Amino acid sequence: MSLAAIDELLGRPVSLRALALLRVFAGAVVLLHLRPFLSDASHGRIYSDAFYEPYAAWYPELPRDLYVALLWLGAAAAVAMALGLLTRLATSATFAIVAYNLFLSTTHFHNNRAYLVIVLGVLAVAPCGRELSVDAWLRRRRGKLALDPRAPAWPLWLLRLECAAIYAASGTSKLLDPDWFGGTVTWQRVVRARDELGVLPDWMVSLLTDRDFHTGAAKVIVLTELFIASGLWWRGTRYAAVWIAVVFHVTIEASASVQVFSVLGVAVLLVWAVPSTRDRVLRFDPADDLQRRLAASVRALDWLARFRVEPGPRLEVADRDGTLVREWPAVAFALSRLPLTAWFALPALLHPAVRRARRAVATDVVVVEGG
Amino acid sequence: MSRLKVIGRRAAVLTVVVAQLAFIVRGYFTDHKPFAFQMFPESSTWRADVVRVTSDGRRVPIEQPWAGYRWDELAPDRGLPRPSVRHHADAGLDNQLAFLRSALDWVADNTPRDRETRYLEARVTSWHNADRPRIRVFRSHVREVAW
Repeated sequence: MSLAAIDELLGRPVSLRALALLRVFAGAVVLLHLRPFLSDASHGRIYSDAFYEPYAAWYPELPRDLYVALLWLGAAAAVAMALGLLTRLATSATFAIVAYNLFLSTTHFHNNRAYLVIVLGVLAVAPCGRELSVDAWLRRRRGKLALDPRAPAWPLWLLRLECAAIYAASGTSKLLDPDWFGGTVTWQRVVRARDELGVLPDWMVSLLTDRDFHTGAAKVIVLTELFIASGLWWRGTRYAAVWIAVVFHVTIEASASVQVFSVLGVAVLLVWAVPSTRDRVLRFDPADDLQRRLAASVRALDWLARFRVEPGPRLEVADRDGTLVREWPAVAFALSRLPLTAWFALPALLHPAVRRARRAVATDVVVVEGG
Repeated sequence: MSRLKVIGRRAAVLTVVVAQLAFIVRGYFTDHKPFAFQMFPESSTWRADVVRVTSDGRRVPIEQPWAGYRWDELAPDRGLPRPSVRHHADAGLDNQLAFLRSALDWVADNTPRDRETRYLEARVTSWHNADRPRIRVFRSHVREVAW
């Protein structure tokens, strides 16, 4: 790839809708992240009251009252960031405060917090307040023209790189460790936590504590992480990678204490949506009650602005390449493109009827256009 | 499009990518692994008998409060509050024991009412994954005890 092509890729104006939506979720994640610090502070305890270890002697530390005030300012900034109120300022302040707090002590460091700082850093440099924000609403109310929701793509690429790097780094570190790849690590962890498996049926406990099971399971885990890291980059594997990533995060959340990692990890998957908006059309028959409800649901849940929803002669979805899908396969397709329902609906796209419908209608379109 | 913006974009992306790769590589060689994203790295476990060695030579377990201090209040995080209980090294053994060593120094430095402890000592037994146990002794620096 030439330098000119890279410049074009980084500078090409794209929709930052995904980052705007991520900004909303990230604000909530920051509140979750700050909660234990604020809870301690409200009980009169801060980090320096117990063992802590600065990364560098020169790193500035604030007086107690100022530090506590900064934490509360961080929480307020996170709320403003989520709402999109003074978005650029709020996002930058949230990033600065969360990063400052993270680097105060080695004891503050956790992978999920590092990931959060990266996400906030990208959001702080991206103009992600032009949509889904109080700022945009106020602008409309004052009768001003809406700002172009498109912007150069480089922050989106940066976050995609970071997202993939995290799965790749984690998977590679396990791949290179014979104890991990051979199953010793997972087997020992499960065996030592045997008491916590009491809620599971006996056969499952027996399976999970079997050494041979982990010889295979560890490889599945490592390859899953590496598949997510690489699969996100190709259109043909992206949906599978996203689907598996959600399962992966839910499994981690259920089996380990990872603070905000799971919710953040799933939220960041939004950045893998194609950065264009309203390039698919959902047509519905307004006379049909069910279709009307579906259209209303799609409008309400289409947080990434994938669809134009229009009245038409029958229920159908026109994909961005012109492919038409009709009737219930159209429902499955539409739901597979909405953030909240995608995970449930994506497997339906593998159903032979849906695949046939897409192929058949695509052929029809080609024939019609060719004629 | 200004040339400066194009170069700025290139520089920003390149800096982040290079820094991220550097952090990932660095994580294989350091106790603390910021931005290396090595998750659930080991099943290693550890335990330690931590004592205060006083100026008259007594070895007092830190499970006993002293001079108004309690170990679990001085080191409440990072798996340190109950070192005598064997437990998992969440972020790996090197990371966990680096925290323990630093905690010994921090406690030695931040317990001004304690006028008898010369140093703290931890006799650590660690099990790296399925390896045989290894025993190590860590000491804080020696305190200047007011006589």
